[in-house]
Amino acid sequence: MTLCSSSSPRRQALWLSAALLALCAPAAGVAQTLDDPAVRAPSAGGQRATQANADYDQDLDASAAPADPWEGFNRQAFKFNRGLDRYVTGPIGRGYMKITPKAVRHRVASVVNNLGEPGTAINDLAQGRPRAAGVTTSRFLINSTVGGLGLFDVGAKVGLEGHEADFGQTLGRYGAKSGRYVVLPLLGPTTVRDGAGRLVDTMTDPVALATAGGAKSFGMIRGGVTALDARANSDGFLRALDEAADPYAMMRSAYLQNRADMVRQARGGVQVLPDFDAARIEP
Amino acid sequence: MSRRILPWLFLLPSAYAQPALAARDASAEAFARAGASRLLGVLGDKAAGPAQKDAAFHKAIDELADVPRVTHFVLGKYARTITPDQKRRFALAFRSYAERIYQGRLADYGGERVSVVGSVMRKPGDVIVATEISGGQLDRPVPVSWRVLQSPGGWRVVDVQFRGVWLAITQQQDFVATIDNAGGDVEVLINRLRSDAPVSVKRR
Repeated sequence: MTLCSSSSPRRQALWLSAALLALCAPAAGVAQTLDDPAVRAPSAGGQRATQANADYDQDLDASAAPADPWEGFNRQAFKFNRGLDRYVTGPIGRGYMKITPKAVRHRVASVVNNLGEPGTAINDLAQGRPRAAGVTTSRFLINSTVGGLGLFDVGAKVGLEGHEADFGQTLGRYGAKSGRYVVLPLLGPTTVRDGAGRLVDTMTDPVALATAGGAKSFGMIRGGVTALDARANSDGFLRALDEAADPYAMMRSAYLQNRADMVRQARGGVQVLPDFDAARIEP
Repeated sequence: MSRRILPWLFLLPSAYAQPALAARDASAEAFARAGASRLLGVLGDKAAGPAQKDAAFHKAIDELADVPRVTHFVLGKYARTITPDQKRRFALAFRSYAERIYQGRLADYGGERVSVVGSVMRKPGDVIVATEISGGQLDRPVPVSWRVLQSPGGWRVVDVQFRGVWLAITQQQDFVATIDNAGGDVEVLINRLRSDAPVSVKRR
């Protein structure tokens, strides 16, 4: 079973987009802030001095040294992915952005996001957030009907703000550590935990399962459009990588911070932030 | 919802554990509100020429950001070992680099509005202000948090968070990795940040 023929176009697209485009960048990862006001409040952030505390959790530390023992392999995979983006997927994504008005791209993004809502609702439930699951389900129902198959985010207009949830986040919510950082050729950056989470999301995507008996072209079209949308959304971040002193380190830092923030939102913990005057990081 | 399912939901944790919310800080919020609006105003000023805009951006950064603190921070562990001469040259290169890239990125956001949605005081003089940027070309509000610290000149921004990613922390890890991979040679980073560094050097 190839990625394109597997049963979860949206999750695939996240893989593909992350992948083919050296993606999964936080700009594309788009971990939107949850609608829960308590979660939306900025994290107070503990002091680095609290690291000695029993409560200290490196997964919530925004500036913790990354666990990257496979850096040699990862840098090669990152280089391959960037090359692919420069010569193949980047031109396709920029071509799409050039010929498509922003208003149209917003509508495409809206449809893509809407098809991901059932998967989000399942993870909301798995995280013990029935209220969030209810909001997500309501959004899906409203946007799929009144919103013209997801073309318009009517849910947000009536106060049902969207958010993202995935199984890697769910695992993190129950204490699973992120594990080693790894960059996969074609599939982009992930961690051991989040890679496993992606697999589960891919195999349990409700929309893909519900349409599995229908036209095969639906899954392929959905996967392709989602990848295109993700590439367009991550274009700014990918351009920023070109300006980094070490693009690999920048991607790793941004990806891990984005994921740590997703998990922090699910757990409700505070993010540990560095002391600006100490200028201290791990050796 | 089925009556059979409902009871099971109560076995689940009712919600996320709520973060301990500290007090809001009105003065930090006011600073962030005014500062963000001013910055977006500079970037969105279509009447100003490129040189005028550069000068206004430079002045705004001086007044809104704690540049020396950020410059020290992004060097990470190397801030302790760098020589005074290297520090001076790094500061010049970093300032020029940061203005060049962030002005370019932020220019895409001209015309948007900034609204403060809350703040959390981590400790006196250290506050995270949550804002939302909306309108303009955005189809939905974008949450952006600002970490502001009290300095002798008043509140100053030291870091900005967007989609969970703190820019100064990212910059620090980018720079420290660069120096690490150069065997601890800070000159490699300074050369890479200079505006006249060839693109091929920057692209790896």
